[in-house]
Amino acid sequence: MAAVDALPDDVARVALDLPLRANLSALDNIALIPLYQRHYSAAESSRLAQAMLDQLGYAGIAPLRDPDMTPAQRFVTKLARALILKRPRLVIDRPGAMLYDVAYPSFIRQLAVQAEMTGTWEIFDFSWNQALYQA
Amino acid sequence: MNFLAASIESLGAKVVGWFTVGYGMFAFLAKAGLLLLEPATWNRATFDVVVKQIYFTAVQILHVFLGYALVISWLIITIILSTARDFGLTEFASEMTIRVLVLELLPFLTALFVALRSGSAINTEVALMQVNNELDALAHCKVPPMQFEFLPRLIGGVVSVVTLAGLAGLLALLMGYLAIYGMNVAGFEPYTRTIAKIFDFRIMAGLIAKCALFGLAVTLIPVTAGLETPKKLFMVPVSVLRGMMRVFFAIVAIEVVSLALKYI
Amino acid sequence: MNKLHFKVGLFAAASLVLAAVFIVYLLHARGFFEKTFHLQLAAASADGVAPGVPVVFSGIEIGRVTTLGLNENGGIIIHTEFLSRNAKWLKENSSFTLDKPIVGGAKIRVDSPDLRAPALPDNATMLLLTSDISKEIPALVERVKAILANVEYLTRKDGEINATLANVKTVTGRMTGEYGVLEGVLGSPEKARAVTDSLDKTRALIAKLDAMTAKTDQWLFAQDGMAEQTKASLAQVRLMLNDAQSSLKKADAVMANAVEISANVKDGTQDIAKLRAEIDDAVRKANGLINEINKKWPFAREPEVKLP
Repeated sequence: MAAVDALPDDVARVALDLPLRANLSALDNIALIPLYQRHYSAAESSRLAQAMLDQLGYAGIAPLRDPDMTPAQRFVTKLARALILKRPRLVIDRPGAMLYDVAYPSFIRQLAVQAEMTGTWEIFDFSWNQALYQA
Repeated sequence: MNFLAASIESLGAKVVGWFTVGYGMFAFLAKAGLLLLEPATWNRATFDVVVKQIYFTAVQILHVFLGYALVISWLIITIILSTARDFGLTEFASEMTIRVLVLELLPFLTALFVALRSGSAINTEVALMQVNNELDALAHCKVPPMQFEFLPRLIGGVVSVVTLAGLAGLLALLMGYLAIYGMNVAGFEPYTRTIAKIFDFRIMAGLIAKCALFGLAVTLIPVTAGLETPKKLFMVPVSVLRGMMRVFFAIVAIEVVSLALKYI
Repeated sequence: MNKLHFKVGLFAAASLVLAAVFIVYLLHARGFFEKTFHLQLAAASADGVAPGVPVVFSGIEIGRVTTLGLNENGGIIIHTEFLSRNAKWLKENSSFTLDKPIVGGAKIRVDSPDLRAPALPDNATMLLLTSDISKEIPALVERVKAILANVEYLTRKDGEINATLANVKTVTGRMTGEYGVLEGVLGSPEKARAVTDSLDKTRALIAKLDAMTAKTDQWLFAQDGMAEQTKASLAQVRLMLNDAQSSLKKADAVMANAVEISANVKDGTQDIAKLRAEIDDAVRKANGLINEINKKWPFAREPEVKLP
């Protein structure tokens, strides 16, 4: 997917090849960004991360680490990490690879409603999966 | 002729390889050092990670380590004492014990202990992070991994080796006293005199610097070796193997240089 | 409460406390909390004394030399430093001796014959004695070595003497020089002077050896309970000294003879050959002497050997 790899810097990506840090909990994975990029305090960063998970309706996964999560939970964590980056564009790269056990178009739509984010989410997927999004 | 050219070429490749490794290591060290100077590094989160690293490197193994230091010290002290008695050199026994154990052997064994336990773990973890794209993911998020992954490991390694070697040294001093003078205070004066004679400022500074270098070697080298791993899962064991070889050579080199500085 | 943090905190606190205790102990051991006691030693020579040379009392180090300096009169002042707890061993009647063994480093020995005597005040100046034994023999050995080098140079196989002897014709031409026949034989005034110089040195050495023999005699016959072994080795030294003395005397006689002969060149060359043989012999014997002295000296350095 050359098109995805060539995306500029101001795009937040959710992709299979951008995994979570394996020895950190979901909450810590999300909190890393305000903590080390914006130099917020640890407590404030955790609060922001928890708020993001709450908004997506997955408050309970905060203490879980990558191997303990279901594909959906893992996807939500990655999505939260991408959202907290606050970049103008958000690209979901081949969601089928990450969400192999749910009907992912409706799942993502549901998340998008809960997130109440400004801007649009772009989904890059294989053309033969196009039919799935029509439903 | 061809053979000669080929061997010269392979030698050249090896030298270039060593230089690359050395350069990478020192560049990484310089980056870590610069980061230490930044005030933003000194926050609660970094401190928490450092504490965690010290826990895993030093506190978790403390009882095992002290037991092992106790056995080694007791053994070496007994050997030195009985040999010294046989040769009529008892007056040098206490000084010899302290020099051999506290200044040389225990720091060396501590470094080996930490290298085998934490060094190999760090190497594996960093190699897996590299192979799993976790570092790429962090790069995508514009979160530099140095501050919360590598720097705390370096600090934890230095603090742990210095502290563990110090504790083992104190234990050895106590054991030496008990072995030479037994359970009474009569030997306190002469033992104090011997200690005063050995531990001048230069020796103390050298000992601490040596332990700090050991601590740096057993963490810095595994981290850089892990970062060099190609993105193939089967390369992880190779990376750990290379890293641990380098750690071993570095520890021996530090010990040899410190001995040379002390006695030549 | 975070259990991990508690454990690390406990570990850190214990380590810091232990480190602090050890540092305080070390500072105490090295006398950081004590006043230091200073003492100046006046000496004739600072040979072998350097900063760091220990001051020992009954074999235990109680202080160290800190600096060396000269006073207004060109005398040497050695500054030493003691911990005040060790200063009680320094009494007004203490003697300070510079011990310079052939093997091992120099040290300053303190002898306090009466521990009830009044203590030395701080910054006092005392005289530093040099023990005769350790000073005289190395000096003598050095001198013998210098002579031997000189003699060996003159008598080496392809040396000037041989070359000159082969060319007797040129010899006769130089007989009228300042140093007479010796200059003729040796080829130049400088070389002739070298021989007469070594002759003088040989004589000085003989005088020295005389003194030595007298001393060993004293050591031997003084009834101060010297160990048998020491006695035996001293006797041997005396024998060797006598031997060396007699062969050096012979060399002296021959050399004196060589200066005197001027009439007969043939006699002169014969005597020179004889001189060479004699000097070779003396060299060999003196070499043996030096080796033996070097070997036996530690024995002779028994603490009870007190020179008169």
